[in-house]
Amino acid sequence: MPQGLEISGLAHGFGATVAVDGLDLSVAAGEIVGLVGRNGAGKTTTLRAVMGILEPREGRIRWHDREVGASDRLRFGYMPEERGLYPQMGVLEQVTYFGRLHGMERRDAQRSARSVLERLELGPRAEDKLVALSHGNQQRAQLAVALVHRPELLVLDEAFAGLDPSAVMLLSDVLRDEAQRPAAILFSSHQLDIVERLCDRVAVMEAGRLLATGTLEELQRRVPSRLRVRVGGGAAWRPDVPGARLVEDDARGTLLALEPGADPQAVLRSAMATGPVEHFGFERGGLTDVYRELVAA
Amino acid sequence: MSGLRAVGLVAQRELAQRLRSRPTWVMTVVTALLIAALMTVPALLRRSPTPTVIGLVGSAAQALRPQLASAAAATGVDVQLRNLHDAAAAHAQVLAGGLDAALDVTGEAPDVTVARSLAPDVQDLVRTVVTRARATQLLSAAKVPPDVIRSLLTPVSLTVHALEPPPPPVSAARVVAAIVAGYLLLYAIVAYAIGVATGVAQEKTSRTAEVLLAAIRPDRLMVGKVLGIGAAGLGQLAIAVAAGLVANALVGGSAVPHAVVTLLPSLLLWFLLGYTLFAFVSAAAGAMVARQEEVQSATAPITVALTAALALVFGVVHAPDSWWVAAGSLLAPFTPIVMPARLAMGPVPAWQLALAILELIGVTYAVARLAARVYATSLMRGGARVGWSAALRGASESPARNTRPRT
Repeated sequence: MPQGLEISGLAHGFGATVAVDGLDLSVAAGEIVGLVGRNGAGKTTTLRAVMGILEPREGRIRWHDREVGASDRLRFGYMPEERGLYPQMGVLEQVTYFGRLHGMERRDAQRSARSVLERLELGPRAEDKLVALSHGNQQRAQLAVALVHRPELLVLDEAFAGLDPSAVMLLSDVLRDEAQRPAAILFSSHQLDIVERLCDRVAVMEAGRLLATGTLEELQRRVPSRLRVRVGGGAAWRPDVPGARLVEDDARGTLLALEPGADPQAVLRSAMATGPVEHFGFERGGLTDVYRELVAA
Repeated sequence: MSGLRAVGLVAQRELAQRLRSRPTWVMTVVTALLIAALMTVPALLRRSPTPTVIGLVGSAAQALRPQLASAAAATGVDVQLRNLHDAAAAHAQVLAGGLDAALDVTGEAPDVTVARSLAPDVQDLVRTVVTRARATQLLSAAKVPPDVIRSLLTPVSLTVHALEPPPPPVSAARVVAAIVAGYLLLYAIVAYAIGVATGVAQEKTSRTAEVLLAAIRPDRLMVGKVLGIGAAGLGQLAIAVAAGLVANALVGGSAVPHAVVTLLPSLLLWFLLGYTLFAFVSAAAGAMVARQEEVQSATAPITVALTAALALVFGVVHAPDSWWVAAGSLLAPFTPIVMPARLAMGPVPAWQLALAILELIGVTYAVARLAARVYATSLMRGGARVGWSAALRGASESPARNTRPRT
């Protein structure tokens, strides 16, 4: 696996509140990793620790196999959850300024800023003050600040929050392009459908801990199998098989979650005893289903 | 990227932001005009004295014309004399403003008619000349020889032997300079130091700070901000000082004491020292607020200290040589305001000057280190405003009380 970001044993708290508790996570160059979890799960604290905005109580954060330092972080790009830029400053000037803060020379920063703004469809507004932009365009300017110095690691907190569908598509394309470069990308989001479509791997956090991490398929294997059965003839069927749990029941049939050890043949026999079985098949749940199972476990 | 470059970038942005601000330029022009006026007005007042026009009514008064003219020349009183035939015409001219006074010596007692009042030095001049004329007349009638009369009426010369050197004369210009310097420095330091708190609070409350901190260390961000805003303040004051010096040169430079003229450039040093000290305090205060509206209360200790220093300036004016004035000027928070006032009033011992400057630099260094810690621990804190005591305790204070963690 290519080198990249490696977080090990990360722990942090605020007074008596534990925010992150022994987190291990890695993001390789060219990889997009989505961090999901409910509010308060520890996502923002993790991302802030990666960016050096807060000093974690414990743990190590390594970049390319050595402790991450200030000079490494200059090659990181960051978009915080609560967006913030100088409202009275011009968009191009502002993006250039942040590029220079990340170590770029003035001319390079200016050239890169123009290019990023064009890519984010903000070229015609480059000379406007930030305050004159719509909320959505301010979000794009914020993303431009994170991208202007061509970061090796891109850290985005609630990356897609508040974006309209076209902006979501644009940002998705940008992140895919960045990963192709190849930048390592770690972002948090509550929009699980986007995370599912975009990410190579997903990390699920709950109460400061990492519940699970892996590709969607790997995560799917960690939760009960989903079996859909439709019994015809208008018969009301409820499975009475150990380890088979009802998830939902609608026109498409009855969806069951099968715990390890539950016998699908026993389910089939039960259904056939009730009426003609019109459909019997395993389904792969999406990230939303996987997440629901993981946090419920 | 080197720390110096990062600090420089932040400072450049702050400076550029202020140079684009219209209020900054308005205040620069107003301050420059004020200083130029203060340097010019005394000279203009001195340059255009209006002579006192005295009408001499009748031949008796007109006979005194040579004595009045020579006495006026001898004493430096600027008078202009006109002959008039009768009292009614003289009074009419006094009322019309053509004459300042009308002198009539035909009666038992000499009579001076004025519209409202007559300057004391002119009164003394007229009284002396008339008295001597009367005395000469009486002594001549008594057959006293003219040389004796001359001898009698010639004032004796008085020799004064001072046992100690006389105190330096305190001119009104020095008093004005001390007070104006105090107010000017108070305004400049408060405006620009509080500007630092406002800028920091804006970055904190707008969440720009979080993006900045991903690129630059908090201490460098703070120092850059202090330097950039300070450069704007120093530039504004330098323009005002230059305007004052140019104005003084244009009017010949004789009306304002030399000490006041040399004080002007030193204001830049006192501003720099005072601003730097209070700007670091202000940066810490700005990082502690939760809302922009709290900046004023968070920076109240700064305005209180500087206002107390200004009060001490009035003590400097009334008792420039007192021990408590000297002691006050050596207290670091007061030094930038009080020491220039002392310098305006007269010489200050070199050791006191050196001690004050070194002490101020030392205190500023210590304050800057402390402020950097408060700044770093407070800037990313959410929730309610961080108190001074909690901020100073820094990491040892339970952050949970003041922090609304977003995890």
